[in-house]
Parts: sequence; C-alpha cells; structure tokens
Amino acid sequence: MAMAYYGRPPPPEESIYNLIPREEIKPSKPARFVEGKPGIIKNAGYTSKFNDTVKTELKKDKAPAKTMGPAKVDVSPPKQFLKKHQKEPKLPPKSEFHYPDEDKKRPAVPRKEEKPLMGLQTNKNFITTNAVENIMSVPKKPVAKYVDTPKGATFDLDPSGLNPKYVQKKDYGKTPEYLNRRKEEVQRAQEEYDAYVREHFRRGAMKSLSEAERQSMLDGLKGNWELLHHQYQGLSVVTDTAPKKARKERMEAEMKQLERDIEAIEKHKTIYIANH
Amino acid sequence: MSATTEDSVPKLELDCTIGFAGDVPGGLIVHPDRQHVVYPLGCTVIIQNIVTSEQHFLSGHTNDVRCLAVSKSGRYLASGQVTHMGFKADVIIWDFASCSMYCRLTLHKVKVEALAFSPNDKYLVTLGGQDDSSVVVWNIAKKEAICGSPAAVSSAGITYCVKFANNDDNLFFTGGDGTLRVWELDVANRKIRPTDVNMGQIKRIVKCIEVKDDDNYFYCGTTSGDILAINTKTKLFQHYGPEKDKFSLGVTAMALLKTGNILVGGGDGTVAVVTQAVNKKDKKATFKKLANQTAKVEGGIKSVALRGEGHQFFVGSEKSQIYRFNFAEFTSELIRSCHFAAVQDIVFPRECSELFATCSKDDIRVWHADKGKELLRISVKELCHAIDFMPDGKSIVSAWQDGKIRAFYPETGKEMYVINDAHPKGVTAIACTNGGRRIISGGGEGQVRVWDITPKYQKLVEAMKEHKASVTCIKVRKNDMECVTASSDGTCIIWDLQRFVRNQVLFSNTLFRCVNYHPDEFQVITSGTDRKIGYWEVYDGNQIRELDGSKSGAINGMDISPHGDFFVTGGDDKLIKVWKYDEGEVTHVGIGHSGDISKLRISPDQRHIVSVSTDGAILRWRYPH
Repeated sequence: MAMAYYGRPPPPEESIYNLIPREEIKPSKPARFVEGKPGIIKNAGYTSKFNDTVKTELKKDKAPAKTMGPAKVDVSPPKQFLKKHQKEPKLPPKSEFHYPDEDKKRPAVPRKEEKPLMGLQTNKNFITTNAVENIMSVPKKPVAKYVDTPKGATFDLDPSGLNPKYVQKKDYGKTPEYLNRRKEEVQRAQEEYDAYVREHFRRGAMKSLSEAERQSMLDGLKGNWELLHHQYQGLSVVTDTAPKKARKERMEAEMKQLERDIEAIEKHKTIYIANH
Repeated sequence: MSATTEDSVPKLELDCTIGFAGDVPGGLIVHPDRQHVVYPLGCTVIIQNIVTSEQHFLSGHTNDVRCLAVSKSGRYLASGQVTHMGFKADVIIWDFASCSMYCRLTLHKVKVEALAFSPNDKYLVTLGGQDDSSVVVWNIAKKEAICGSPAAVSSAGITYCVKFANNDDNLFFTGGDGTLRVWELDVANRKIRPTDVNMGQIKRIVKCIEVKDDDNYFYCGTTSGDILAINTKTKLFQHYGPEKDKFSLGVTAMALLKTGNILVGGGDGTVAVVTQAVNKKDKKATFKKLANQTAKVEGGIKSVALRGEGHQFFVGSEKSQIYRFNFAEFTSELIRSCHFAAVQDIVFPRECSELFATCSKDDIRVWHADKGKELLRISVKELCHAIDFMPDGKSIVSAWQDGKIRAFYPETGKEMYVINDAHPKGVTAIACTNGGRRIISGGGEGQVRVWDITPKYQKLVEAMKEHKASVTCIKVRKNDMECVTASSDGTCIIWDLQRFVRNQVLFSNTLFRCVNYHPDEFQVITSGTDRKIGYWEVYDGNQIRELDGSKSGAINGMDISPHGDFFVTGGDDKLIKVWKYDEGEVTHVGIGHSGDISKLRISPDQRHIVSVSTDGAILRWRYPH
C-alpha cells in the first residue's frame, strides 16, 4: 500500500533484524613503498581518513569538465582583421521623441507674459464659482458594481446582465395577454346583459307590426279599394231606385273608410297592436 | 521440590545475567584487585570480571541483599539482607578467592542496613535497620560476635551508614538521621564506646561516610546536599560545604581521591569533584565543586566505586545503570543497564536468537543476547504487560496497563501507531498472527479482541466475550485458524479465528498463567497458580495428563521446544525446570533467580533459555538438549 509522503523520500523501512550488530569490515591498508630502502614494502603508515573522500570528490567534481584541448576550427584570412568597435552591437539611428498622446492634447495654458486677445479679461472668480458649483451640484450617483471573487475584484453591474432590463424583454410594448382576455370577458358580459334586457322588454311590450306585415296590409287595403272602386264605376249612372241608391251610398261609405285606413297606415311607420 | 531430588537432577548452566540492584546504597564496588566489580542482584551477589564480563554468583541469601562490603585486602566480601518482619536477617561473609560462603552471621532483626570491614580484616561491623537499630562487631577469624550496642540514642532516627578507620582496627564511625558517632572498640572488655560528635546548630541526615587516609578527618554526605568534615581526634564538627551550590536531592555516594578531593554522587544523578576551599567572607574552610569536573547521569547515584587510584571509576544509579567514568576527561560511558522494575515479558523475533526484547514498567528494551547489551530502549511512563514482534520484524507491538496497544518501529523506537482504549481494564496479553495481518489482544476485563493491522489503519474485527477475568496468555496456531487464551478465571478457551466462536473450553480450579501449543498442535499444555502442568486435547478439550510442576510456587512462564520434545517452566519457586514432554520428567533445574520468574523463552536456535523475573533480572541459561 503506497503512502503519500508529499515529495519527501519515503523513510527506509525499519526491521528488528537490522539491530543485530555487524562486524565492521576495515579496509586493509595498501602496501607502502619506503623511500631509500628499495625492496622494503611497509604495510603500516599514516593514511588520512579523508583519503577515500578526496579521491571520490576529485572524480565526481573535476572529471566531467575534462576536455581534449581547444576546438580545431579554420582561421579567418588576414584582411578580415578585427576592427575597432566591430564586436559592438549595431544600434538603430536616433529619432525624435514624441509622446504617444501628443495630437490629442489641448493647447497649453497661456503663459504669464502673454497679452490677452483684444485686452479682454474676465473678472470671474473661478475658484469660488467652481467651489460653489461643486457644493451645489447633486452628488454623482456611484456606479453600480458587483464583486465576484473573494479577493474583491469589481466589475460594472450594468452590462453584466445581473440587473434585468425591461426594454430587452421579449414582450416589451405588447398588450399583455391577460388584459386582452379581460377585455373580451367584459365585452361578452355586456352583450349578454343587453340581450337579457332586450328580451325582458320584448316580453313586457305590445306586438308591433313588421314592415312586411304593414306593407301586405296596405296592399290588401288598396286591393279592396280598387275592387270596390271597380264595382263603383260599374254602377248604373242613374240612381233611380232606392236599392241602387243604398248600394251606391254603402259603396261610397266603404270606399271612404278604406281611404281613411290606408291613410292611417301609411302615415305611421310603426304600428302596435294592443294585446287584450 | 525437595533437596534430595534437586541434588539428583543436573543443574542448568547459567550463561550470563543482565541485572543490577541499583537501589542498594554503595552496592557497586570495585574489588581491590582492580579486575572485578561486585554488585547485588536480588538475593544474589555477582562478581564480574571487568574485562571479560565473566560472572560468578554468590547465592545464599533468602531475600534481597541490601548492603555489600569488600575488605581492604580483597579477601572477604560481606553482604547483608532484608527479610520479613519478625525474622532474623543474615549477614554472609564470602571468601572471594573461592567464591564460596565463609560464614553466616545471624543476629540482626529484619534488615541489615550497612556493614564495614576493619582495615586488617580482623573485624566486621554491622548495622541493623530501623527495627533493630544496633551495632554489632564480629570477629571474622572466630566467626562470632564480639559485642553489640544500640546504634544511636533513642531520640535519634535511623542510622544509615558505618565506616571503619583506615589505619586503626578499633575505630569506626556511624551516621544517620540526627546521629553521628565515633566508636572505639575495646576487644579485651568486649565493649564498644560511642562518642557523639558535637554538631552545634547544624542538623543533618548522614547518608554516607568516607574516612581520610590518615584518619584525621572523616567526611559525611548528607541529604541536604552538603558534606560535613569532622575531626576524628577532637570529635568535633569542623566545617561543611558547599554552602551555596548544594547537591540537589542530597549527597548519596562519595569516594575519596588521592589528591584529597572528594568524588560525590548526588541524588539527582550529578557526579562532581569537590575540593577544599576557603570562604572569602568569613575566611572559614568549606568545600567547593570543581566546575570542569561535573557530569550528569540518569537516576540518582547510589554508588561510586574507584578502580585503583581513581583514574577510572564506576557509578551505579538508581535506574540500575552502571557508568564507567574516565577521571582525566571526566567522560562517562554506559557499560551496563538493566530493568529496575519487574520484567513482565520476554520475546524473541522470529527465527532470530541474537536479539530479544523485554518489557517492564516504563520501558521496552531490546537486548543483544550474547553481549547482554541494550540496543534500544522505548520509554513510556506506563506499565507494559506483554510484547510481541510482528512476524516480518518491522514493528514491536505491546500491551499496556492504560488500555492501549502501542506499536513501535524496531530501530528508532518511534511510535508507529496506538490503538487507544483497546481494553477497558488494561491490555494484559498480546499475540500476532503468523500472517502478520492481525493482532489478538486480551484485556484485564476478560475480552479477547482481534484487530486488523494495515499501514493506514487498525480496525477491531471482533471482540470475543467469554472470559470472566483477565487474559494472561495468548498463543496462535501456525495456520492462524485457531488460538488459545489462558485466563485467570480458571478457563483456557480455544477460539475459532474464522467464525470468532469458542471451539473448546478447558476448565481447571486455578488461575491460568501460561498456555502453549505442542508443535503438532493436537495438544496444549497449561499451567497456573495450582502449580500443576496440564496436558489437554485440542479436539475435545479433555485433560490427558497432569504433572506437579512445583512444590512451592505458582508457575508463571512456560515455553516448548520447536520439536516438542522438551518444555521449560519457571515460576514463583525461582527455579527453571526443563521437562521431557512425553515422559513428564524433569531433566534439568536452573537455580539462580532471586525473584519470582515471570516469563521465559527458549531461543529459536535452541541453544539458550532466557528467563526474566520480578526483581528486574534477565538470566540466560544454556539449553541442555
């Protein structure tokens, strides 16, 4: 099972068996040649305890830097000798310095010794007026911001979309559905009410003759009058007998009556019939 | 076991001991031949060669040795013991050359506090303890008492120390709690006559006395941490010191150097050289510590022993450690250490006889078996009941009285993990499975718990609740399928470690102390306080056989050889017995322990037996078969 040591090398595993003392192996000293006594090789003698360390360090530190001498390359011809400043880097020509916002800048404030144009001079106290203006001014409303990180970076609230804008709504400027619905409902209710009232009156009122009925009645009366008039015209010219006279008089009266009826009906457009 | 049978049985050969009763004042002595040191261990006195570490054992005391002295010529050794209230405490004079008892002197009651030889080996003066409080002078040649006298006036306290003059056989000094006396011996009239030293305003408890070579002065180390100088002729207090920079916890041991300086051991472990000086203010003589010659060791110093003239000296501390000092450089080297409390358990790593670990109150120690050298000490301020090595040897697991199981790295001794609250009444037994994945622990409340051990976590697998009293021993079968636990409720239970249920239960009218599987694993042998060794069948839990393991004391430790031919027992009778398994006969007996044997083991290579006892000693015996 691997354990996390977070970059440290894992500790060497301990074991009780490592506690058993081991015999230290002492390196035997190399044979030493004794000067002046050829052939005598002595085993005893001083050897520094750092002997091995020095050897290994020499090998470790210096050996990798050892080379085969300087690299062999072609020499340059005699005409290409080294000239003055040859090895110095070439710099680009000097150019005048310009501020990047120079063209956007307003002209400088007139200097003290410059004369005002036409000798015009204002006596406005700019300091006071500026102060008064600032005092009287409505304080600027702080721009709405929002903070989204624990470190406190702020951003404008307006374009973020966190604050809803009603102009951007899909149904902006349209009558809401519920208003239409309500209007229809009101209208329908009104109609129903009217119909009801009409019906109510209709039930309570006299019967009126319709235009067609009046016309047909008028036509009938006129037909009757023409029939009578025809019969009247067909009467004998001489009214010598009583029956004739009676008949003539009856006919004239009937005709007169018809004429009066026709005139009454034609005179009134709407005619009610009393219902009793 | 009676004396007759004991004599007929061959003795086990004692290989070496690791132990030193560090709490005996002046217990560590270098013999005048400069080749041996003498020190007490329980009720034996050990003579050890400084160079070869060869040991001789002087056993004859019936209880702990409390004082020790070597005569000036080196011919005699004397040791005094403590015993139970109402009994007489022996003083034994030993002949050094033959390492045998010269004579046994019995007169003091309960305890012998201190003893001293006269300069020409003529007399021995012994000092009784609190219940005896008498001084007795013995004639060594005649092996009899010359005379005795109360050690101090009745108003004074205990007398702690006695010392003879260097040149006069008839002059000795005693000191103690409110008493400091110079005694003159009148052999002709069989009288000793004391003279109390006039101390003036000063009140001190004297713990050690050293006499100057020419007998003009003697020096007393006190519990106040200063040294008194007394004129022998006038018997007057002369001066004391150091006045300011006193020895913390008192001056507990002293030795005089040839230069006239005093080598002092303090109760806080300080070793320092004190020299004569003059107080600048009142121009009075006093003592001064030498700043460049001080050192500190672990535990209060109880004995300082010069080797020869004092170019080298040995210091014994309360924590049972012996240091060797080089006087010129004043550098110390720990040469021997041992447990100072009862050793609870011993265990060998698997297949390794060169190392073993023991545990005791406050520490676990790993020892090199051949050299008897301490390789590792793990200190925790708690009582450790049992230890075991993981089979791979990569951790030491231990059972502690505070209810924790602690595991340690075996090389650095760092804590690997702790299982807190493993058992509510302390963990009393522990064993690792052979697979190395689990630990089985037993507690004082009687539960046996199985723990899963991984590098990342330790998890309780199962708690088996059948025992009604503390679990004393756990042994696991080779295939990890079964284990047997012994308990002091009078049962041994064989558990199935697959289903965690009881397979068999062995009943006996005893407090079981130890249990072992026979290597074939068909039988177990048990033992306990009934002093019987029982053979039991694993299959059905029947008792096959019963042997009388001991005549006098409970059997606490048992181990069986890998082939199952022999087993070894040890217990409160302080004897190690090697038994033949099949015959049930004792083949060898080991005599040497001075405390109750708590555990023992046969080394894996079957060449030694290592036993530990409650007096802190570790003994290594040669395995006879």
